[in-house]
Parts: sequence; C-alpha cells; structure tokens
Amino acid sequence: MAIVVTGVGVVSALGVGVERNLASLREGASGISAHPTLLKTGHRLPVGELAMCNEELHELLAISPREHLSRTALLGILAVREALEGVDRSNPKRIGLVSSTSVGGMDLTEHFFERFIEDEGAGRLRDARMHDCAASTDVIAKYCGIEGYRTTLSTACSSAANAIIIGAKLLKHNIVDMVVVGGSDALSAFTLNGFKSLMILDEKPCRPFDETRAGLNLGEGAGYIVLQREEDASNYICHLAGYANRNDAHHQTASSAEGDGAYMAMADAVAMAGIEPNAVDYINAHGTGTPNNDASESAAFVRLFGQSVPPFSSTKGYTGHTLAAAGGIEAVFSVMALKHGYRYANHNFSEPIAAYNLKPVTQFEEGREVKCVLSNSFGFGGNCSSILFTR
Amino acid sequence: MRCFIERVVTNHDVTTDIKVLIPDAGLRRRMSRVIKSAVTTAIETVGGVEGIASLDGIITATGWGCLADSERFLRNVIVDKEQLLNPTPFIQSTFNTVGGQIALLGHNHCYNVTYVNRSHSFEDALLDAMMRAEDGDSEHMLLGAFDEETPSQRRIMERMGLFRKVACGEGAMFAIVGAKRNERSIAEVSTLAFPAENLSHEKVVAEYATDERTHVIYNNYAKYGLYPTSSAQCFAEAVKLVAEGTPEVVIYNEYFGATPTVIVVRCLS
Repeated sequence: MAIVVTGVGVVSALGVGVERNLASLREGASGISAHPTLLKTGHRLPVGELAMCNEELHELLAISPREHLSRTALLGILAVREALEGVDRSNPKRIGLVSSTSVGGMDLTEHFFERFIEDEGAGRLRDARMHDCAASTDVIAKYCGIEGYRTTLSTACSSAANAIIIGAKLLKHNIVDMVVVGGSDALSAFTLNGFKSLMILDEKPCRPFDETRAGLNLGEGAGYIVLQREEDASNYICHLAGYANRNDAHHQTASSAEGDGAYMAMADAVAMAGIEPNAVDYINAHGTGTPNNDASESAAFVRLFGQSVPPFSSTKGYTGHTLAAAGGIEAVFSVMALKHGYRYANHNFSEPIAAYNLKPVTQFEEGREVKCVLSNSFGFGGNCSSILFTR
Repeated sequence: MRCFIERVVTNHDVTTDIKVLIPDAGLRRRMSRVIKSAVTTAIETVGGVEGIASLDGIITATGWGCLADSERFLRNVIVDKEQLLNPTPFIQSTFNTVGGQIALLGHNHCYNVTYVNRSHSFEDALLDAMMRAEDGDSEHMLLGAFDEETPSQRRIMERMGLFRKVACGEGAMFAIVGAKRNERSIAEVSTLAFPAENLSHEKVVAEYATDERTHVIYNNYAKYGLYPTSSAQCFAEAVKLVAEGTPEVVIYNEYFGATPTVIVVRCLS
C-alpha cells in the first residue's frame, strides 16, 4: 500500500510556517542566536529560539492565555494547523495524530518546581498539569480538531521519525484514514543544562560535519506532516516510500564508531523502498555537530554508499537541534526538497572531517532533479531511524 | 489482528538476584529505582541477559517516565544554580532509557520504541506489537510497561485531588509476544479496542465477552493503585488466569476521564 504526504507544517527558530523557514534556508540566514533571550537561564550559549513568548503564541493561535498551555503544545498546534491547512478533510472519516516530544511541559514544570521545592504546598498546579508528554498531544488534538486515534512517542532525538513510522502503520492497518505525524519540543532549562552537563554543547554556532565541530546548539520547534493512503488522496506532495527503526546498542548517549545503528536504519529504509542506495539524491543528515555523532554518521554513509555518498547536509546549523521535533522539522524540509528540487546548505562548514573527507552541500541549491530524499534521526538510547521520501 | 503471549512477568514476580540479572555493579548503582525494577523485570522475562539477543522487537510504555531522575536533575539545576551538574539523572530521565538499556545489555539492534501516552501507553505499545506481528516485521518481541511513584508526584497529584477514592501505585510488567502460535504460547490477545465512550460493566460483558465463563477485570485500580500503566498489571493477571484455565479475560481500563481501552485475552483452543 502506497503512503503519501499531503500536508506539511513547521515552526522553528527560523520562524513560523513552511514559507518563512524555506526563505531563511534559501537566504542562508541562521536562526541561531548568541544566547537565549526568552529562556530563563544563566547560560550564555547559542540556541535556536523562536523569538515569540508564550503569550504571543497564545495570541497568534487565538487561544486564551487563561488556557495556559505549555510551549511544546503551542509550537505543536502552530505546526499541526499549518500541516492540515491545505489538506482536503472532507473525505477521511478518521483523522489520527501521532505526536512526540522529549520534554513535554517542562517549561511550565520548571516554573512550578522552583516554588514547590521551597514549600510542597506552593507552586501553581496549572504549571504542573501539562508535565507529561501526552498532555501536549491531547491539547494539539483538541485545538486542531483531531478526533481519531492518537498516541505519543518519546525516543529522544529520533522521536518524530518514529512517529512517522507508526503513522504509516496505522494507515496500513486501517486504524485511521489520515494521520498527522511529527514532534514538538520547546527549549527548557532542563535540557539546556542536561546537554551542558554532558559537555556536548558548542559555545559557538555549531558546525556539523566540519573537522573543527565542537558540539551542538539546542533549538526548539515543531514539525508535522500529514500522511494518507494514496488511493484516498485527491492530490499529494510525495510518497513515503521507506522507513526503518534500528538500535545502535553501543552506549546510552554515544554512537558507535562504525555507525552500526545509523547504517542499518538507512540500509533498511532504502531496501524497503526497493531502490538502490545510489538512487538517493539528497540526505538530510542528523548531523548534530557533536564530534561523536557526525563521525559515526559519516562512517555509516561510507558503509552504505561507498565512494559515492549522495549530496548531504545537516540543517541544524539553521534551526539548532530541536530534539524530538528534529525528525518532524527535517521531514518537512525533505518533503519540500523533493517538491521544489532543493538541496539545503550545511551552515558553517569549511573543512571536511579528515578521516572521511566528506563534503556536505554548502550552497542552497534549487531546480535540481531531487527524486529521492533520505532523512536521518538518531537519539539517546541508541535509537536510530531513517525515513525515505520519493516523488 | 492478534498475537500470542509466551510469558508475562511483573516486578513482583522477579525472584532472580539482581546481581545475576545485572552483573555490572556500576550500572546497578547508577540505575534509579524504576529503571532497576523495569530492567530486572525485562531480563527475568527473557530468561537472562542472553535471552535479549533473540528478540526482534523491544516495545516499552510509560505514562510518567523516569520521574525520580527527572526530579533529581531539575532540583540540581535549581539548587546548584545551573553549575557543575551530574549528567547521570539527565541521561536516565529520558523516556526510552529502559528500552535503550535492554538493547544495550543484549547488544540487540532490533526495532525499539517507547510509548508515552498516559493511560493508553501500554495498549498503544500492544497495538504496535500486534501490527508488527501481522505484517511479519517481528516474530518474537518484548513488550513492557513501567511507572514509578515518587513523594513529589504523589504530593502534587494529591493536591490535584486525584487520590480521593484510590491510592497511587507503581509497577513494571514485561511480556514475550509472538507473531505465531508455538509450543511456548500460553495465551492469545484476540481483541484490542479503544472505545470512544466509557462503558458500564454490563456493556463490557455484552460487547466483548464471548464465553459465559469470561472473567472481567474492570478498572482494577483498587488492586494495583492508580498510575497510567497499571493496566499492564491487569494484563499479566489476565494471561496468568487464562494459562490456568479461564477461557477468556476481558480487561477494561478507564483512567481519569480518558477514553477507555479494552483488551481481550483468550486461552489457546
């Protein structure tokens, strides 16, 4: 059964909406700022922060500030509404939602907890209400008119890619007729300090796949795509032709030197689509900018593609690493690459990693024959997922 | 859609010494209570660490995730003013820590995913396992659920007024799920449903029971406590009942105004 993509929606540090994001990518204007301005933290580290506070997001969405939604939920509603905007909703009876997040309502919980640890009777309960991951899913469904089956996944930085996989399965098993899939994550002091404590944040703008890369920059945002069975869709943007979820089984937070999980996920996704690896025209890499990830992913590229690694780039130099949302945001970019013949530039690249000598795309390209795009998302816990889109 | 259950183990059933199940002392020391409970239950279910290698799907579910680690890290961020933080609780706060740890201990590269969907987490994970079984993606999967209770969480939920009728709870449960019936199969999952509205006990019997001796487990929070994946404990109870001769068990789970879930476990004819 063929699965097609019929809608896309995105919000990131580049701004609200697909057109705004693509315009920034075309102009080569990164969304990463020198330090957070909205997030409450003492760390002066570069981040990809959306320059709109929660009150502004409530207003933009025409949702009363009294609803007091978490930032993860607000970003998610923005992207899901856009994804469903141009989609014909008259025909499908059951619209589902497979969402994902790694922090859930942590932005509100942080607020709550500051008071709570001083006095267990203190802290506003409305700040604790949206802590769990499913809270954002429920709210997104409510404000986007989604009434069918819905679920929530959390597999760290591969979360949204897995949401795409589960969505395709739900369509194949006739549990839904249309499904919105992706992920949302807001910046939080929790994650910023978490990655800081792991010493994998770069104090400068990140440089994925560069010899001098020294870590990632965190970002925030949401990315969702709409999936349908091809026979049910009046028109569509592209096919979801392959996907795979494999585990690196090497370390809780680090990737194997040989890129085992990444290699297996890419190889399986390509095999599922029934194509040869050299048919891939563009790879939107995971490419976080950490020394470990980019070396491991490069090793996996060479294992699968040999001497002819397809044009590839990481867009995290523009958006930052948006954790659970990354696979959703990058799925939107991948789908748009197919639609418009784009290949995105890998921001801040100057010198290839010596051991692999792989050079990513460095200038925004358009009007190319892009027929097959691979999107990678890897995470803590060894989770590695690859998604393959074709025309 | 259906699948076959070969074994169920809850945290209460684990009898093997934790030093045997997780021989690495450093790893044991770092693991929080819920991770220890879930990972030991998982390893007991597969009959020791070497049993992990044969799995071709690891599907976990948790409503709350690793709360104690999340809280510990958040507390440190606030109290230590973002300075010199120990990363271990942050690493372990990730919802897929348990699934990842099982894969890591068994060097298993198979499909691995974690559902975090409140009271539907376990049922969503079961649905995934059933879809994989039907599609021939996986033959021999580990399916599990876990949640932990912490003093802060209990206090916050008390303040929300959630424990007026029933106490808080926690637990871990893992099962071996097979795509095909084999000599190790002890029960079959014949139905998994997500009704749009709450159903009375009578209605559950009328709609899902196919045998006059069908046993119904209806919202068993009094027995297992109130937590998002407590229906996984009901599932273990159901499989054990069926293995001992009950022809059919229907599990009805309705949590805090969420829409209910129904699982039907049947004996192998």
